[in-house]
Formats: sequence, C-alpha cells, structure tokens
Amino acid sequence: MDEAQLIKGIQQGDRKSFQTLVETYQRMVVNTCLGIVHNKADAEDLAQDVFLEIFRTAENFRGDSKVSTWLYRIATNRSLNMIRNNKRKRFFQSIEEAFTGGRNHGSEISENRNDQPDQNITDQQRSDLLHRAIDRLPEKQRIAFTLNKYEELPYQQIAEIMEISLASVESLIHRAKKNLQEQLLDCYKKKCV
Amino acid sequence: MKTKCIHKDLIFYLDNELSVEKRTNVEKHLEECADCRDYLVFLQKGIQIIEKEKNPEVSPFFYTRLSARLEEKPVYQTQSQWVRLAQPAFFSLVLLAGIYGGLKLGSNASSPKVHQQATNSIPMLNDFEAEPIESFLLDKL
Ligand SMILES: [Zn+2]
Repeated sequence: MDEAQLIKGIQQGDRKSFQTLVETYQRMVVNTCLGIVHNKADAEDLAQDVFLEIFRTAENFRGDSKVSTWLYRIATNRSLNMIRNNKRKRFFQSIEEAFTGGRNHGSEISENRNDQPDQNITDQQRSDLLHRAIDRLPEKQRIAFTLNKYEELPYQQIAEIMEISLASVESLIHRAKKNLQEQLLDCYKKKCV
Repeated sequence: MKTKCIHKDLIFYLDNELSVEKRTNVEKHLEECADCRDYLVFLQKGIQIIEKEKNPEVSPFFYTRLSARLEEKPVYQTQSQWVRLAQPAFFSLVLLAGIYGGLKLGSNASSPKVHQQATNSIPMLNDFEAEPIESFLLDKL
C-alpha cells in the first residue's frame, strides 16, 4: 500500500491503515522526540500524541509533502512544547521552594545512578552533560541538530521539514556544533564530570 | 615550536568537515599536544552517547495503547489546565511575599527611636498607635 492510499484510508477512519502507518513510523517518531526530550517514556508518550493528532487531523493532509515530513514537524513541535511546559513548571516549583524552604535537590539523579552498575557511572554523567548541552541550544539549532544526528537526515530534508533554506540549515547545524563544543570544552576545563 | 591549540576545530574534525589544509594542521597539532588529544577523546565519548541512545526499542504495546486512546474524547486543555492552577498559586505567593515584607518593614518602623521621630514630626498619624499596621494586616488574613 503506498502512502497516498494509506492516508486516504486514515481520512476515511480505517484503523488498519492507521495501524500500518503507526507501525511504519513509530521508531522514527519516538527517536525524534527522544533527541529533544532525552527520556524514552516521555518520547513514547509524545509519539502517541503525534499519531493521535495525525488520526484526528488526517483530512487536512493534502499530500504536497511526504508523510514523514508531516510527522517530523508535529514530533518536533510537540517535543519543544513539552520542554517549554516543563521549564514553566520548574520555574513555579523553584518559586514555591524558595518560600517553603526547598526540597531535596538532585535526589533523582543520585537515585538513578545507584541503579547503575559502577562502570556505567561515567556514561551516565557523559549523557547528562551532553543532554544539558543540547538543551541549552536555541530551539532551531536543537531541531536541526537532532534531525541530523539522531535521525541522520540530509540537510535538504531538514530544510523541507523546517521550511527554511539549505544555507540556513547548514548555518544552524554549524552553530549548534560550535555551541556544543564550547559547552563541552568549558566542562572539560573545569573537570565538571 | 608548539602550534596554537585547536580545541574549537575538533568537533568538526570528528565529523570530517574540515578542509584538507585544516585537517592536516589539526593532526599535526594533535601529535604534539596532549591536552588537545585528551579533549578530543572527551569530546568523542560525549558525542558517541548519541549513537548509544538513539533508536531505542519501541514498547511492543505502543499500538495497543494508542488504539485504546483513540476511543477517548480529544483533550485540548492539558496545558491551560496547568496554567490555571499554577498562576493563582504564583500570585498568592507574590502576595504573601508582599505581606511578609510589609510586616518586616512595619516592625523596623516601630523601633523606639524611629517611632519617636515619626510621632514628633507627623502628629496627625497618631491614630496608627491605636491600631498597629501588623494587626491591621493580620486581621485581613
Ligand atoms: Zn593543544
């Protein structure tokens, strides 16, 4: 079944077509969300929301772009929204903690680490460091970098997804790498890991 | 003589994005600089995390869960619901902070010396002695 038939099926409410679409693209959508939110359970929850949106808005899909382009756009938008909401939540929490005397910070990380075998501690720390560095990138750099590194997409496809020029994608990814490099160098010099 | 350190080129070196000339310079420098070599390993291991974590196995119940959610009515208010709860809480906290600050200021102002000066210079504010600002605010609470 080709993509056009699949979408036509979904537009008519056919569950079998929807299931085929989900099974074809679930890895791609979860992986894209993971690159932005860095947590597998959150990435799967987001991917579920992405497919629900597809099912409920399928009639709006005109077929002038590929299904994957459509999925990538929704996946990156929803992931960024989750990050923004979490930031807002943390902001209110920090205000609340300032008044209530604060809660036990960092317990989450140390608990996670206790579950890990010793030889993985460094990997966990490296992973935390890399995620923090990616999170500090401006949103457009983060999307372009994620699509390129996690999904291994060529610049031309990223340009289509983000609806920007090829030169802009090159510049975004170059700046993303430069920013990551600076943050990792800073950490290396301060021996933060 | 040792050439200038090339930390900033290394991420592009790892991705094979340097010109031949730059690449040769980087490799030459790496041979003579232990610090840049160390950093290259640090950077490489950091970036490799992406290769290790990407494309995780998707839960085998992914579609089953999704299929159950298709039966539910769409929920459009998850975000605004949160804001509805958080904003009043935030403004209550700001209000409490204001009251607390006011009480602090009030207790400073009623220290004997300041109090004396105030009553001498502004006699018409004497009514405040009958009802201190603290109890006025506390009544409101
Ligand atoms: Zn050097």
